Amino acid sequence: MASTSKGDLPASSDVQENPTNELEPGACPESVINPTDSFEEFASEMSTSLLERKSSLTPHSSTISEIQSEIGQNDKEPIKTVKSSDDLQTDDSVSASASTSNICEQNGDEDDDDDVLDYLQSPELVNKEKHVFILSSAGKPIYSRYGSEDKLAGMCGVIQALVSVVEDQNQDILRSITTNDCKAVFLVKGPLILVAVSKSNENETQLVLQLNYAFNQIVSVLTLTQLNRIFEQRRNYDLRRLLSGAERLIDHLLIFMEKDPAFLLGAVRCLPLPVSARENITNAIISACSKIRDLVFAILIAGNQLITLVRMKKYTLHPSDIHLLFNLVRSSESFKTAESWTPICLPKFDSTGFLHGHVSYLADDCQACLLLLTVQRDAFFPLSQAKHTITEKLRRSNCLTSINDALNRNEDLPTSNPLKYIGIPEIRHFMYKCRFTAQLFTSDPLSLERLQDYRIRHKEGGDISTKKPEKMSDIDYVKKYRKFCNQIHAKLIFRSNAEDTILVWVTNGFELYVTFDPLMEKDHAIKAVDRLLRWIKKEEQRIFIMNAPTF
Amino acid sequence: MSENYEYLFKFLVIGSAGTGKSSLLNNFIGNKFKEDRCHTIGVEFGSKIVNIGGKSTKLQIWDTAGQERFRSVTRSYYRGAAGALLVYDVTSRDSFNALCNWLRDARTLASPNIVILLVGNKKDLEESREVTYSEASQFAEENELMFLETSAKTGENVEEAFLKCSKTILAKIETGELDPERIGSGIQYGTSSSKRITAPKKPARTPSECACRL
Repeated sequence: MASTSKGDLPASSDVQENPTNELEPGACPESVINPTDSFEEFASEMSTSLLERKSSLTPHSSTISEIQSEIGQNDKEPIKTVKSSDDLQTDDSVSASASTSNICEQNGDEDDDDDVLDYLQSPELVNKEKHVFILSSAGKPIYSRYGSEDKLAGMCGVIQALVSVVEDQNQDILRSITTNDCKAVFLVKGPLILVAVSKSNENETQLVLQLNYAFNQIVSVLTLTQLNRIFEQRRNYDLRRLLSGAERLIDHLLIFMEKDPAFLLGAVRCLPLPVSARENITNAIISACSKIRDLVFAILIAGNQLITLVRMKKYTLHPSDIHLLFNLVRSSESFKTAESWTPICLPKFDSTGFLHGHVSYLADDCQACLLLLTVQRDAFFPLSQAKHTITEKLRRSNCLTSINDALNRNEDLPTSNPLKYIGIPEIRHFMYKCRFTAQLFTSDPLSLERLQDYRIRHKEGGDISTKKPEKMSDIDYVKKYRKFCNQIHAKLIFRSNAEDTILVWVTNGFELYVTFDPLMEKDHAIKAVDRLLRWIKKEEQRIFIMNAPTF
Repeated sequence: MSENYEYLFKFLVIGSAGTGKSSLLNNFIGNKFKEDRCHTIGVEFGSKIVNIGGKSTKLQIWDTAGQERFRSVTRSYYRGAAGALLVYDVTSRDSFNALCNWLRDARTLASPNIVILLVGNKKDLEESREVTYSEASQFAEENELMFLETSAKTGENVEEAFLKCSKTILAKIETGELDPERIGSGIQYGTSSSKRITAPKKPARTPSECACRL
């Protein structure tokens, strides 16, 4: 019963008659977020040749150095982003290549061999819907979403062998292996090999996107320069030593990529706020920070959503870097108890070095987290002072209350329950992404309770689920949208069956995904979508960040 | 009580990952103990004003991440520290064995005169103890360290650890061993010190600080 607009010209014509410049909610002259994170970028990843890929991971220029030279820090000590070889030499050396010794070990002892095989077939691993493995190009295990990395050493050796055979003998890149019930996707990034094995309906591109995020999380912790240097010096290095304590970040990232459509769409959610509140917040930040010369970004986030982002002129943040910041904050309870001063690498901004971040929650009674990111490693106290100034101003202007109301989805706010205010009962769910600004809004906005629920539920989670959820949330709808996501060309797709009706509308300016009641007629759906877009347009000043403030 | 104080001491909390450094800081500044704390990322900053020998003193405390990858960041905060809590976990032989490295870093990167208190944390986990009191006490004596066992969970000896260290710093100031005027001593005169004609700029108040606890 599915049909597309290509086979139905009248519907297509109807849609085209709507003036597009009036119905692109969220569009504005200057975007606060760099909107180029998109499928096109990941698509190019898929099509690069082996040689192109190897050169693309060599960082060419440093944004951080550029900023430092502009503000006259030439005589300052250069940022130390690379571990000294002395530290690495304290390691005991490994004489054989990991993959060879792993293969020998497997042959050497029958009991051990049986144990490993049993482990690989244990319910702990087999029942999971998805696996993510990260290993070094020498075949050493670095990270596994489930199970123990130590017990997976043999399998990592096999993965490394598969990848290297394809590279060496066929001069090619191993991309994926598909069986009846699952798909394994491979991504080689410099010295790391990342593998996702999935039994869900995610396609190859979507899985590669997730592996790229996991890789970027590792870069965020180490910098790409340090990561490459480590393996240039010691091919057999055990990276788990440096990543100690960061597994949590990767775990949380993988959990949330399965929950939040923002990753899939290369977009960022914003916390809906009254225009005046957002302006007051932004102005408080600008006035408190304008004299701090080397501050590059001031970012206020809450509940996995962006409140405001103020930036140094000329520089912008990509959604994928913002998601790493979200992940850092939501993975760490400790920011709530003290001010933190931490190195953060943002791979899209500059993968070669660290920004230094003052990270702290605004107040005990407001769950918004302020990140002040600078190129200057000794700037803690000016930033600490700025943070306190900002908090006091926001308290006096009642912005903390506005943030709390939005976070707790105060029922009086129209953006807390959009379907109720839109008044189109046939709509069950929608997702809207403005492509110009890379901002996302859905009918099921995040709340603090939702975030907490994700964390709790996933401790037991990951198993293949056969029962339908009692109440569907964003991600349950997104699972249906997945097959339509990430298409390059503008299009209208309409599919109606006894279960539900899905309409997907992608233009150069926006992407809209809507789920209706079953057996909806196309004409009615088109009219409903028109009303939906007008409502989003009416509320766009509250839903989206409509400007790009600078210091 | 007011924000006034006569001295400001810079403190480090150092030691292997997982020994309870952040819990010690949080307990001292009044936050609740949390069982499943995640690792510190970079450094964390807390402060508290205490009364030592009749003098109001602000302790500016840097809690450092124990993971190896943060060494280059945390080391930059050793400079100018007046005191340090050197923390190991009494249930972890490895964390005790690593103390020599931490101690060397503190004495070379901070200052030879830094006042160091060895802290054996998690003394409430007696049944899992791997390091005896006498063994650690001997290590402390051999390396000219003060020594206390604490429990950040129960609060036992936590405040005492910071106060003991601070008292020793104050005593050294009064005997002239430590000179607050010297750059890098980790000591500054405070807002109400009679030794300065004009007070230095007042440091920011941190959210965890509460006037009623002074």
